Parts: sequence; C-alpha cells; structure tokens
Amino acid sequence: MLEKIRLNNFTAFDETEVQFSRGINIFIGENSTGKTHVLKSLYASCDITESNKSFAEKLNNVFYPTAKNIGRLVHRGQENNASLEIFRFIKPGQKAISLRVSFSSSTSKPEKSTISGSTKLWQEFPVRSVYIPVKDMLANATGFRSMVSLRHLHFEEVYNDIIDRAFLPALKENGDKVRSQLLESLQQSMDGKVIIKGEELFLKNKTGELEFTLLAEGYRKIGLLWLLIQNGILSSGNVLFWDEPETNLNPKLMRLVVNVLIELQRIGVQIFIATHDYVMLKEFELATNHSDKILYHAFYRDAHNHLAVNTVEQFDNLSPNAIDETFGTLIDRQIVKEMGGLGK
Amino acid sequence: MMVIADNYQFNFKTALSAFVFDEKTKSSPYFHGVPMKAVDVIAEFEDSYLFIEIKDYDNPAEFEIPGKADSSIKGCDHFNWLRNYLKYKFRDSLLYRYAENKVDKPIHYLCLLNFDNALNNHMRKELRKELPVGKASNRWSKKLAESCQVIDEHAWRRNFPTWELTRIP
Repeated sequence: MLEKIRLNNFTAFDETEVQFSRGINIFIGENSTGKTHVLKSLYASCDITESNKSFAEKLNNVFYPTAKNIGRLVHRGQENNASLEIFRFIKPGQKAISLRVSFSSSTSKPEKSTISGSTKLWQEFPVRSVYIPVKDMLANATGFRSMVSLRHLHFEEVYNDIIDRAFLPALKENGDKVRSQLLESLQQSMDGKVIIKGEELFLKNKTGELEFTLLAEGYRKIGLLWLLIQNGILSSGNVLFWDEPETNLNPKLMRLVVNVLIELQRIGVQIFIATHDYVMLKEFELATNHSDKILYHAFYRDAHNHLAVNTVEQFDNLSPNAIDETFGTLIDRQIVKEMGGLGK
Repeated sequence: MMVIADNYQFNFKTALSAFVFDEKTKSSPYFHGVPMKAVDVIAEFEDSYLFIEIKDYDNPAEFEIPGKADSSIKGCDHFNWLRNYLKYKFRDSLLYRYAENKVDKPIHYLCLLNFDNALNNHMRKELRKELPVGKASNRWSKKLAESCQVIDEHAWRRNFPTWELTRIP
C-alpha cells in the first residue's frame, strides 16, 4: 500500500509531499497542476516490482521526455537537481519503506540516476498495479504490442502496459462472490462479455460479436474494467491508477463505475483517480459510507505560482475546488446577464 | 439600511426600505400577520425589489417533510421539497405585496442556500421554471419575477459587493 510521495524539484513541482488513503484517492485540479505526473510516478514505483526495471528507467518510459533524456524531468527553475521519493507499507503495522530517485538536469540517461532507499525490500515484495490512461488503447491493440517490441514508437509506456494487463488470461473461478457480482453488474450495463481473439477484442452477447472499434468508447471503458477484474489485476492488495475515468463515459454510467471502484476499495484495492468531473465526485460522496477510506487531494498553484496539494477527508471541505469554482463562475455570469449592475 | 434575518446581517446602503418580511412581532410596522408563506427579507430600491429567502441545508430541523419517516427520506425528496418551499414562499409573498400595492417594479428573487455551486445552479434552473421567471405565457403582459438566483454567501459577496452580507456567529 502506497503511503506518501515526496517530490522535490521534479517535473512541475518545487517541493511537495502528499499523504495517501489506503482506499480511494481522488485528485482534483485544473490542467497543468501535476495530477497525472503524480499518478505516473506512483505507477512506475509499483510496476518495477514486477517488471524488474530500474525506477529511473520506468519513470523515463512512462513520462517519455524528448530523446528520453531523464534530465528534462527536472523542474525548469533555478535548481538543477530533482528527487522523487515514494513510501509504501509492505506489511501491516510496520514502518513504511521508501524508494528514492534523484538526478540532475544534466543527467541524460536513467542509469546515471541515483536510486536509494529500501531498494531490495521494495523489489522483494511485489505489488501488482495497472494504469488506465485517458486515451483508449484497447480498440487499437491489434499489432500495437508487436510494433512496440520492434520499433521506437513515441508512446508513453503506459499505453503498451495497459494492453498487456488487459490481455492477461482470465483467472479461474474461485467462488469470490464480490468479484462475480462486479463482473455481473458490468456485463449487464454493456449487455455482454468481452472476449479476446488473437490481438482483437470483441463484445459478445446474444446478437453476436461486436469488434471494439465499433463499440462506443464509454462501453470500452466498462469492458476494460471487466477484463481487469476478470483476470485478477484488480484484486486485493493491488493498485489501480485511472486518469480521468469520466472521459467518453455517459454520466449515467458514472454511478456504476463509482460503485465498482468503491467495492474494489472495500476488498482491498488501493485506488488513485484524477478527475475533472462533478458527477463523479458527487457519486463518490453519495455512495461512500463512514467505513470507506477516501481522501480528496486538491492540486493547485499557490500565490507564488508554486504547485501545492491540499488533502481533505470530506468533499465539502475541498479547497480550492476547481470544479465547483467553474460552476461558481457560471452563476456569476448568469447574475450579470439577468441583474446587470444591481448590487455592484 | 440594516436587516438581520436567520443568522445573517444585510446592509443595503442604497435601499429605499429593507425589512424582515415574515416579521412576527405584532408591534412592528412590518408585522406580517397573515397565514401565508413569506420570504425572509424584502428590500426596495429605486427601480427594483429584492425578495430574499435564506435556507440552511445543514440544519435538519428546517427540513421537516410531512408524513415521511426519516429513514425513507431520500436526497431527491429534500431537493423537491425545498424547490416547492422556495416556490410557494415567493408566490405567497408576491400575493401579499400585490395586496399592499407594492409590485410596481421588477422583482428579483435571491435564495441564499449553502449547497455547492453546481447544486445551486440546478436549483436555480428548476425554480426558474416553477415560479416562473419572465413572461411564461403570451397572454401575460407582466412578469411575476424578473430573475431568480440561487447562491451561497461567497457568491453573494462576489456579485453584490454593495449589499453587504455578514454571518452572525
């Protein structure tokens, strides 16, 4: 379970530390406030426990700076050195261990970075993770993975990784009721099951098989969630990172997705999502109860234009709340339109 | 001109008059005294009236839905109840003011709620239809309400800086 992240002069951050919930973590903030950077950093730290890549190399692959020059991940300020440190619990009740990477703006290759902390323990206790990027890749999976293995494609590694995770074979039935219920509710909403033929995905139901390229993007997301539950990627002890789950999702499907995420949290999946969507936040607020573990993290720029993160337990206490502020500006404009200069 | 109502103090510097509309003190010149619903505050300006209703959503005592046990009350019940409550407050107040011969200027209805901005926006949309705002029929030559805004205290201060609003602890 991830405990916290400490960023120092890394990408857009000066000096920031964020403490996480063992359940659900929701990142909210305007564009360019570092939400995706934190998601990717955390994901890289989890992924290397299974892929056995170095932390610096994985970071470089998921961020993909120009010419894969890791030094470009140093904040473009006055300092020349950056560090990123992530803390996680490997056993309940024990102190968190950390993994740290540091490099300078002149470090061009990841292998020249300095990795420190509990590097051995970090690798000895693998944590399975999945990162769902904003762009859908499942419909274009055919040939993509083989192309990536042969060519230098300018794609962040998260795109290849999500296809790899989705294509893992299904777990055998193990009588897990929650898992069965989640799969059933997803099947009902998309009216079928996802099947894999070669490198192509289809939605299969009574009327036949529909290729993913012909399927609405919202249902592709539901299908992906179904695959990741079916193949055990989303199971107890694992970590889900999901960047803007609301993209292409009909607001009516949001309730289903949020309910599935809450159930996954209840069985022990740690969840990180970044969202711009009011309906999604409201669904979380309405569907969680006092025993659910949820933290809201507001990413914002302070008065000095430095990135900062404010963490709260209650959605109502979230500040600054970029989404609510947007609704506030709509109200302001309506008042001006309908009441003119009254009260000004 | 200062008015205190429901834990808020309003200061309408340019108002011709401003008073608690649902005044319950018999000796007050603004004693309401009629079994009709009433908005909390009315302010009169040179060219308009303000009807102001204050509702604290966090206070359960203000949401007594008749005939429903607490456990059966859903969020939408609260919302619909509140929408109707705000609607009839406006309409009864309008009738009362009609009888007073005080509907000679455009009326702006301001509801001061503590929902988030999105929900306030939604309530405003619903209320506009229900009051209704503007000329709802081709047969009408007058508007019942010129506008309706549902806002929290932050939006009030942003938008109406000369109508000072202070929360009384």
